[in-house]
Amino acid sequence: MIDQLKRTTIRDEQLVRATLRGDTSAFGAIVERYWNMVVALALTKIADPAEAEDVAQESFLKAYSQLHTLRNPSRFAGWLSKIAIQQCANSFRRTARCKTAFGCKATSLEELERQTAQTNPPGLTESEIHFVRRAVSRMPEKFRQLIIMRFAAGLSAAQIAEQLGKRPGTVRVWLHRAYKILRKDLAPLLEEVES
Amino acid sequence: MKNCEKYKNIIEKHLDGMITEVELSQLQKHIDGCPSCRAEFDRSTFLKDAVSQAFSSHTSAEQAGASLVARLSSEPDRKPLLNHPPVLLAGKRAAIAAVFLLAAGVLLGFALDRADEPAGPTLKAEVPILVGRIEGTVLVRHEGSDIWEALETDSKIRLGDTFHSAVKSTCVLELDPNSTLELDQNSMLVLESFNGLTEFNLEHGELTADLESGHGPFFISTPHGRVEALGTEFTVKVTDE
Repeated sequence: MIDQLKRTTIRDEQLVRATLRGDTSAFGAIVERYWNMVVALALTKIADPAEAEDVAQESFLKAYSQLHTLRNPSRFAGWLSKIAIQQCANSFRRTARCKTAFGCKATSLEELERQTAQTNPPGLTESEIHFVRRAVSRMPEKFRQLIIMRFAAGLSAAQIAEQLGKRPGTVRVWLHRAYKILRKDLAPLLEEVES
Repeated sequence: MKNCEKYKNIIEKHLDGMITEVELSQLQKHIDGCPSCRAEFDRSTFLKDAVSQAFSSHTSAEQAGASLVARLSSEPDRKPLLNHPPVLLAGKRAAIAAVFLLAAGVLLGFALDRADEPAGPTLKAEVPILVGRIEGTVLVRHEGSDIWEALETDSKIRLGDTFHSAVKSTCVLELDPNSTLELDQNSMLVLESFNGLTEFNLEHGELTADLESGHGPFFISTPHGRVEALGTEFTVKVTDE
């Protein structure tokens, strides 16, 4: 079993190999490491936080059963994000089918705002959270993924480069473009901070 | 200013998570005396925190990890397949050879003395705690084991056992005929001690204890501190806040 203290220092590939040997607690450590990243990726596509968490859980279950197909375990997070994005698309299709067949309604904006109000992180108001989510969700896919990997998963530019199989310089350039877009789109919020 | 350009680059490195300790300390000193770089640093920090907060999950990563492990353990059919790429890449002949070798290995394994096999996890002592009412899905895992089993009314409880109640699931542990402990939904509890001194560790969730007087010292430890039972009935709740 993976020792609690070692969870933060063990590399992804070791956790992946331990999982493939049947150690489910190693997979638990993987989930702990990337839960925030997967939920955040889902939240860029799905407005309902509860549904985003369901999609995150489905993504991890799919990653678990498909783990043997992962060729390079040091790129686990990059592979997992692709699964999460795919699961979001599946969730969309299910909702669309549900709407067509049964006339189900998507969660109303009021309901979403009420749910968000219950789960607000300290520091941002309800409308600011929507504002930031909208700004990130509107970014081009590759920048959005980098921003989530950097700020939600806490991976450094070098770690993201390793996970995506890119050169660190490329990732830093893309990240800087992404910061530029965010600075522009979040300017009203940034001005509030300064005033 | 040229000097400020250098620190703006360092601020970008900070945003990239690539800053060194030396650079951070230099930056700290610089922004203390430079309002422009201080404002730039504050904006960058806000950007990072705002995204992180806006996309934060209601369920903590620890809870999510524990729930998924519990779910995987209760679904033994859901297993990742073993990795076989070397056999596939080496071609059909190598695959056939590997099958023969595997078969030979299995036969040899049966033939050999199995006394050298490593022992399984040593289970801790059983304790006279009975499992009372269970609603929904409650799982138990013995210390040193990876396997989660469904908790049932006749399950044997051992020191070090971890109990996990799923959503809308609860269970009652009967410590003696007049003392009970009810684990609320979505909670995780570990039995740390039961030898005159009773101690449980509530990792997350909520429990309600109803204890008869004279039960001996009784403690509930949590990630935020340790409480000793003084009253006969009390509730302990662990939240992320």
